[in-house]
Formats: sequence, C-alpha cells, structure tokens
Amino acid sequence: MNEIILMFHVLFGAGCVITAVWLFVDVLHAGAANRARIRRLSWAAAAFMWCAFLIGGYWYVVDYPADKAIILHGPWPFAHSYFMETKEHLVIMLLLLTSFLPVATANNLAVNREARRLVLWVLAGIALLGLMIEGDGAMIAMGVKVALLAGQH
Amino acid sequence: MENTGVSKYTISFGLSLALCSVLNALLVVTKEKSRSVTSALQRITGHQWVTHVIIVLVLFLFFGWLFAKSNQGQGMKLAVKRLTEIILAGIVAGGLIITGFYLVAD
Repeated sequence: MNEIILMFHVLFGAGCVITAVWLFVDVLHAGAANRARIRRLSWAAAAFMWCAFLIGGYWYVVDYPADKAIILHGPWPFAHSYFMETKEHLVIMLLLLTSFLPVATANNLAVNREARRLVLWVLAGIALLGLMIEGDGAMIAMGVKVALLAGQH
Repeated sequence: MENTGVSKYTISFGLSLALCSVLNALLVVTKEKSRSVTSALQRITGHQWVTHVIIVLVLFLFFGWLFAKSNQGQGMKLAVKRLTEIILAGIVAGGLIITGFYLVAD
C-alpha cells in the first residue's frame, strides 16, 4: 500500500509538470480562443501539485522514517542528507508557485504582454523545479535500492 | 489594444510568493542550525516539517492579504516587469540558499 501511495505522489507531480509545459505553449499563443482553457489548466496544475504534496507529505511523515534509516546505513547516505533534505523544502516553493498560477492567469493574457511574460516565467519555474524535485525523488529511491542491495552481499 | 496592468492580487500574492520563498529558505537554515527551534516546531504539530509548511503557507496568505489591503485597499502599485523580476529573484535566492546550505554548510 505504501508503494501505491508513493506512485500516486509521483503521478500527480508528473501531471503538474506536464500541465505546466502544456500551459507554457498555450500561453505563448494566448488569445480569446484558449483563454478559458488556460484558466482551467492553471487550476488543474495547482490541483495536481496539491494532491502530490498532500500524498507525499503523508508518506514522508508516516512511512519515510523506515526508508531514511535504510538509506543512512547504506552506501548513499547523501540520498537523504542532501536530496531528501533539499526536496522537502524546495517543494514548498513549488507549492507556492503553483498556488499563485491561477491568480496570475486570471489576468487577460491575450492583450497583456507583461502579464504573459510573468506567467511564462512562473510556468518555467514550475517545470524546472518540478523536474528537479522528480530527480531528487529518483535519487532517494536509488538510495534505498543501493542500501538494500549492499545488505544482500 | 495592449493592456499593461494586472489585478491587485497578482501583485500582492506575487510579492508574497517572492518573500515567502526566501523566508522558507531562512527557516530551513534556522532550524538546521538550532536544535531548540526544531524541537519547538516539532512540539507544535508533532512533526517539524509539517509545522514548517504550515508557517510558510500561513505567511503566504497573510502577506498576500496584507499587500492587497495596502494603499487604502487598492493594493501595492508595481510595474508587472518589476514584479516578474522580484518573483524570479525570490525563487532563485530561496532555491540557492536551500541547495547551497545542504551542499556546503550542513
């Protein structure tokens, strides 16, 4: 069950990044035709992020201590001491960015170049931070794997 | 016709985003350097990270509301280009403090 919870965390996180990239393209071509879709997608990106955050937060508080102990006794202790430590705090910035997104896209992007630029920068930040955090997650999972493999030999 | 303004909430919550990104990073450094701060955060909700998240989210809402209420309720006046620069500066500074701290100082 723990692994299923974790997969949903990754799924929603990936959903947020994919939505941000989709939105980036839509905002580049912002007009009357895609105005409603941009707003809906910005809410979707925020919802994906909140789901990923709440599921990941629950897993981090309830289930991660066991993984942490395994990682710290393995050959990659930095998977916790660097990658998890940065991930758990960078993700708060990502949560703020995605929560701000629907506010920023509520402006009329079709006729406001500076508002478009603002939203594009926010989306770029969401995509880059999201990918970085997905990478952190991969390093943490690898930290558990190498520790368990090392224990078998 | 080109419009250059944005809503007062875009400016107020944009500024709050930049400010809270930096405050988030400073809280990371503070709790990592002070066991008593970590213990105090731990006592409030039972987990220091949960308290940390709640503090940052509450500050984000508070500053967003506060900046929107300033200037007799009209919100802060700021060029959108400047707002974008402030948000980017806040995000980059917050990110660098966190990644740099765990890389070098911790």
